[in-house]
Amino acid sequence: MPAHAYVPEINALLCGLFVLSAFGMVIVRQVAACLSLFIVQSALLAASAFLLGSDPFSWHLFAVGCVTVISKPILIPWVLRRLVPREVYAVREISQALDAPAALLLALGLALVGVSLGARLAHAEPLQAPQNVVVGFASLLVGALVLAVRREAVPQVLGILAMENAAFLAGIAIAPDFPLIAELAIAFDVPLLAFIVAVLTRAVYRRVGSTAVAELTMLREHTP
Amino acid sequence: MSIATALGLNLLQLAFVAGLAPLFRGIAARWRENIQFKRGPSIWQPYRDLRKFFAKEYRYAESATWVSRFAPYAVCLSPLLVTLLIPVLTDFPLFGAFAGDMLAAGFILGIGSFFLTLAAVDGGVPYGAMGASRTRMVGFLAEPVLIVILFAVSFVANSTIPYVVQQQWLSPPTHFFSPAHVLILFAFFMLIIAETGRLPVDNPSGHFELAMIDESKVLDFSGAPYALLLWGSAMKTTVLCVIFTNVLFAPWGLASTPSAGAVCAAILIVFLKIAILLALLVIVETSVSKLRLFRIAEYLGAAFVVAVTAMIAAVLAS
Amino acid sequence: MILFAAVAAPIVAALWCALPRSERAAPYVVASALTASLGLAMWIAAQTLARGSVVAIADWVRVDAFSALILLGIATVTCSAAWYSVGYIAHLRPTPRRLRVYYANFALFVASMLAIAVCVEPGLAWIAVELTTLLSVLLVSFTDTREALEAAWKYMIITLLGATVAVLGVLVLFWAQHAAGGAPFTYAGLAHDAPHMNPTLVAAAFGLLLIGFGAKIGLFPMHTWLPDAHSQAPAPVCAMLSGVETTAVFYVLLRLLALFQAVPRLHADSWFAAFGAASLIAAALLIVQTHDLKRLFAFSTVEHMGIIALAASLGTFSGNLGVVWQILAHAITKSVCFYAAGIVTLVAGTTEFAKLRGLQQRIPLAGSVLLAASLAIAGAPPFAVFLSELAIVIAAVSAGKVWIACVVVLFVGIAFAGTIAKIGGVLFGRERSDVHANDAPPLCTAVCVAAAVPILVLGLWIPTGLGMLIARAASVMAAP
Repeated sequence: MPAHAYVPEINALLCGLFVLSAFGMVIVRQVAACLSLFIVQSALLAASAFLLGSDPFSWHLFAVGCVTVISKPILIPWVLRRLVPREVYAVREISQALDAPAALLLALGLALVGVSLGARLAHAEPLQAPQNVVVGFASLLVGALVLAVRREAVPQVLGILAMENAAFLAGIAIAPDFPLIAELAIAFDVPLLAFIVAVLTRAVYRRVGSTAVAELTMLREHTP
Repeated sequence: MSIATALGLNLLQLAFVAGLAPLFRGIAARWRENIQFKRGPSIWQPYRDLRKFFAKEYRYAESATWVSRFAPYAVCLSPLLVTLLIPVLTDFPLFGAFAGDMLAAGFILGIGSFFLTLAAVDGGVPYGAMGASRTRMVGFLAEPVLIVILFAVSFVANSTIPYVVQQQWLSPPTHFFSPAHVLILFAFFMLIIAETGRLPVDNPSGHFELAMIDESKVLDFSGAPYALLLWGSAMKTTVLCVIFTNVLFAPWGLASTPSAGAVCAAILIVFLKIAILLALLVIVETSVSKLRLFRIAEYLGAAFVVAVTAMIAAVLAS
Repeated sequence: MILFAAVAAPIVAALWCALPRSERAAPYVVASALTASLGLAMWIAAQTLARGSVVAIADWVRVDAFSALILLGIATVTCSAAWYSVGYIAHLRPTPRRLRVYYANFALFVASMLAIAVCVEPGLAWIAVELTTLLSVLLVSFTDTREALEAAWKYMIITLLGATVAVLGVLVLFWAQHAAGGAPFTYAGLAHDAPHMNPTLVAAAFGLLLIGFGAKIGLFPMHTWLPDAHSQAPAPVCAMLSGVETTAVFYVLLRLLALFQAVPRLHADSWFAAFGAASLIAAALLIVQTHDLKRLFAFSTVEHMGIIALAASLGTFSGNLGVVWQILAHAITKSVCFYAAGIVTLVAGTTEFAKLRGLQQRIPLAGSVLLAASLAIAGAPPFAVFLSELAIVIAAVSAGKVWIACVVVLFVGIAFAGTIAKIGGVLFGRERSDVHANDAPPLCTAVCVAAAVPILVLGLWIPTGLGMLIARAASVMAAP
């Protein structure tokens, strides 16, 4: 068996683990564990980029993989760890909006919706790695669920970043020739995002005393 | 291959499971202690326990019915029946290979635990009833996982006959890394932990009755029936390990011809494969702490999600 | 080069603010830089009128009449917001460090908005949109109160969520075009390749982009963050967020509309009409029951986005004319509304209707501007918004879509009644004595009055150059 025969299968495996890490981010309770899962997910994204870039060889995807490795699993956690107070990471979310089994079932339902959407697209035009599109759509929806069930600031943002990962997992399959300059700019605005989020989280922590942002509900339209 | 050879090999498989099950249990117990830098019991200790209990006098509770008397036999026989269905040593089908599929194997194992649960309530001891209800809870949550794993398997192999399934993962060899395969393994591993009552679901070495799940069901038994229960549970673990290593992982090392040499090599290699799996289980067990009872639902929910993901991957790949 | 200069001027000002001990001059440096940007934007507009388009890098950075108009709107509003900030922010007495951070952030935010207008590559435009969110979050939370932090958080989460959905849309769009043909990945190239693109992919891209950018624009039902953020930010930031940030993002969608309209069975028009009508109706009903002055203007922004979407759904030249005109009129009018509301905030210390009464005596000049701007934004003649809304209604009737005209007339009427009733209560009647009183900074009042002049002027007389630019913009919108 030549080595490149394994590329599609291993890439599919990476995709499977990718969506599992998204599920994990829905249910793990510790903020720090959520961050670790995000790091794993970003590493899987980079690995998928390298793998798809190896056969047929593409400088472009290798560059994307390198940028991803630098910005997502390294730079973002560093920024978040450094700027957000350490107490935040020790928080266990006792009161999620949904209990874990319900959230998991909902995540599964969303993933199935994503799979059916993605599968319809993936076969619209021939692709080297259609599973990336399918998993990208499924993980995008699961990432949105993270936003909905999480109450803490950092996991909410990690949900957005997970959605971004999902979009790019689909992106490396559907747009491998996406202009590199745009790709680079996108990759480097993600650390900026982490920075802004961290600054804002710190301000919330200072002002409110916790980072349970879901409990901030002062602003609403109340009828007098 | 003559019928006599097939029958002989079948008996050999039964002997393998029945004879080595206590040894596997002993090895796991020893390693669990070793990994914590303790000496641990001898790996032959389960055999000594069995001999001791078979020699002892035994009593049933006054309120006990025939269920209590029958349960040890059911527990002991169900893994042996399953052994007839699965490839323990050979990768070619033997006598009884097509008598039942993996779902049947699951149900036959279920009969054993069903009678054990009934017997636990039958004795009238409060701990037994508590353990029985908890086992049922874990069982109810674990069953969907098993079913979904079987769905995923059947999507890949178009069959759930163990001898057919095992050939799928290596044809072509790239299939070994397919997400369906890896995720099925992952989910089944989580299931083994739950089904055999290990950490983080249950603590087999705990002595606190209120926290027990599996152990509290057999508190009422003594002597030979207790020995049968011990033996049966060891065989159940072994059978699950065999399903994992031979059916779901890969048919590596199984005898492909009925010659004596191939079968002897298979005995050795299967033993090693199971030992590696046990090492993995021991490592998992020592690195996690027991979950609270109500978090078990989350654990099995996670296993369920993994299984469903495997199924989706299998559907997408086909 | 001139395009880069217009975007670079605020960036240079931001770098200057990063220098230590620059807090004394920072407000004036940023305001001057933005005035320079405004001058450059006018020159760019004149150039596009003369030559059709200004190209900096082919297929990447280019300005035609439509983008020149957007650029002009952004530059006008941000310039007045910068001068207004000079008085307003000083009144809040921030620490020197916070002041420098504010102005640096302000200038970078403006640069990111200008970048949306000059980029013709959807990938770059997406980055610019994402940057507008990131660079405005800390402006929204500037006052550092619990409410402001909550507003900033909601704003960030929902718009970033939208941006993430939109980036997938951009990628799918790229894929669809890559599979179909060889034209460059620009608005014009996409419209050129549209007939050959796979309709499934374009439909997916349309859905993702409409939801993604719709969240940022504030279309119903993704508008929930908008009243919070647009009411909690400092007044000059509100003016920029409401006046031009929303329409700058809308501009990207409008640029892609020609592509989506070219795809059969996608019904992009109907989707625009549905989202537009929903936004207009929801906003009109919310205006009637709101309890806060700045929230009222924020809901009015949702209403106007709805009107723009409805007008864009017509797909005719006169509809496009209404779109372009409405964008410009809304930008200049809504910013003045927030400037006047900012003066109310400073004077009365609150923006809740329950606590505001009889302010006309205290702040006669700003009060008059508030009344005029409220009438203008609600659609009363003889102001600019009246003309644009009239144009849209006429365009809808002549396009045969009478229901759109009816919806616009009915719900703009409801919003008008709600707005005028509430503003009247704020300005007239007996003044409440329990509200603490400050003086309005004269610079703020001056900017407020000066910025209000174009609202009236453009309602009565449109300069020839601007009229030509609007007409040209409406025609390139249909065929980029």
